[in-house]
Amino acid sequence: MSGSLFYSRSFRALLLVALLASAAIGAGASELKLEAKLIWGTNDEKSPRKEHVPVDDATAARLRKVFKWKNYFICNTKTRVIPSRGSNQFKLSDDCTVEITELEGPRVELKVIGKGVPVHKSIKELRKGDWFVYCGDDKNESAWFVIIKDLDEK
Amino acid sequence: MNQEFELKLQAWVDGELPKREVSRLATEIERNPDAQALLAELKMTRGFLAGNEPEVVLPESREFYWSKIQREIERLERTPVEEPSIPWYLAVRRLLAPLSGLALVAFLSVLSINLFYQPDDPTRQLVETENLSEHVGSISYRSQSENMFVVYLYAKESESGDAEVDPEGAPVNDLFLQ
Repeated sequence: MSGSLFYSRSFRALLLVALLASAAIGAGASELKLEAKLIWGTNDEKSPRKEHVPVDDATAARLRKVFKWKNYFICNTKTRVIPSRGSNQFKLSDDCTVEITELEGPRVELKVIGKGVPVHKSIKELRKGDWFVYCGDDKNESAWFVIIKDLDEK
Repeated sequence: MNQEFELKLQAWVDGELPKREVSRLATEIERNPDAQALLAELKMTRGFLAGNEPEVVLPESREFYWSKIQREIERLERTPVEEPSIPWYLAVRRLLAPLSGLALVAFLSVLSINLFYQPDDPTRQLVETENLSEHVGSISYRSQSENMFVVYLYAKESESGDAEVDPEGAPVNDLFLQ
């Protein structure tokens, strides 16, 4: 009897641990840690702005496989945590802000705001390794990019 | 003749009866033949025991005798008790409950960290896009090889063919890089 009682208690304890672990993991999964980068793409070798830093080789190679520009420079980088069912804003320049809202499931809503005016909205599943890129033309055959990626380890 | 009276008789035979009760008990015995018979029987039994009870004499001292017993008890306690062998199916059954619990923990953990996630699931590629400004158009495409979803924003052409401008005069698609 003492043996069965022992195992019964063990089983209950393990069941409780399992439920708590799944609840903790489930609760943590809904919070997102995202990074947004404002990048300038050009065929020039250097940026006219000193504060622009060339992107790392891996990022440049990945961008070159999709876009036509040779060189890419980081203008701004912001990292934010998006709370569950909440929003957070990434102010990348004086006029450009990206607002991201965590939705049900692994989906997020990304909203581009220019000079305070919403310009575009996307709803997409975003996982680690995925890049969501907003881009547009800029002066002198250059382009701007906003790269949003998930930093959470899932 | 009740039990209390019998016990008094036995106490009298053993010499343990208080003196003040002896005379009264003797009077009662004289009047009661059963009591006389019991008294005779008790005296006879006491005589047998006193004369024939064997007296065991220890061959060694009392302390040494009991120390031997204590040492033997301690020796037996130190001897490992052989546990009866358990059949294999009972041994497996004993592990079943904890293993089931561990399996449940592993299953829930796997479920929670999305190990069932299928990278090629077509439903996860669905994207909803919406232009919120009438002056800005968008084209979206996905690079499967680079795992990249791109939304290209551009200023819609005005009727004159020029790019739309914001009230401050800058082209709409130049708003994002300052």
